[in-house]
Amino acid sequence: MTIRTDEAAATLAEIDGVVARVKRSRIYRTAAQITILWGGVNIVRGLLVALWPATFGPHWFLIDLFGVAATIVILRTRPTGVGRFPLRILAAFAIVYAFGWVWSNLIGHFGPREAIAFWPTLFLLGFAIAGLLFGLVLTAIGIGLAALVVAGYLWSADAFPLWQAAVTGLGFIACGLWMRRS
Amino acid sequence: MRDGPDDLIHQPVRLRIMAALTALDPSEDGLDFTRLKSLTGATDGNLGAHLDQLARAGYVEATKAFVGRRPRTTVKATVEGRRAFARHVAFLKAIIAEA
Repeated sequence: MTIRTDEAAATLAEIDGVVARVKRSRIYRTAAQITILWGGVNIVRGLLVALWPATFGPHWFLIDLFGVAATIVILRTRPTGVGRFPLRILAAFAIVYAFGWVWSNLIGHFGPREAIAFWPTLFLLGFAIAGLLFGLVLTAIGIGLAALVVAGYLWSADAFPLWQAAVTGLGFIACGLWMRRS
Repeated sequence: MRDGPDDLIHQPVRLRIMAALTALDPSEDGLDFTRLKSLTGATDGNLGAHLDQLARAGYVEATKAFVGRRPRTTVKATVEGRRAFARHVAFLKAIIAEA
């Protein structure tokens, strides 16, 4: 068999394309699990805070801590096709969380309504930025859901906690299911 | 002096199969048939025939299992398959380097 230079180059490009698709698919599948998990966390948190505000209102972050622990388990145990998820992703989450905590508590003194709007939009911003690296669909998801959260903040009045839970919860679950198929 | 091309791997569908399977870490389970079909753009029958050829050469191994009630075939590159694919890629790179 004789292979010309241009044919060899085209074949190597074909290989690179398949490898990139496999890696992207593995990242999407792990991201899908995390997205579905946080969809569930949002719904549970929203319902608990709406139904028992005195009990869960001040302690909503305990539900999020469960989500963080489950996220770490997923990141540590799921293959990605490019090796294990690097610790720098967890570090990125920690930095974003620290940024959010400083702004919402020390500088901004956000009330409950502002906090409910701020935290999901902060992480959806991360979604949108990650999409620039891994696929523009994630960017569209991040911007779209953030816009719905802001709309709820402005116009849903007392139903905002439930609106936020429904939008981000069901939105995340739908996005996760879509990503799992990709 | 470089090795020659691997005729079995160089066929486009088999090349995509091997590229996809070797992109995974050896410790991973492999790719399921449906995912492989999507990555290669092959039909069921076509993919099955190419996988048979690669399996006969010892380049891939397939595992069949049931997930719930649905059969699931998972395909993984063998050590020999990974070596053969790496040799073929090295051969292609050598062609370009010598041009």
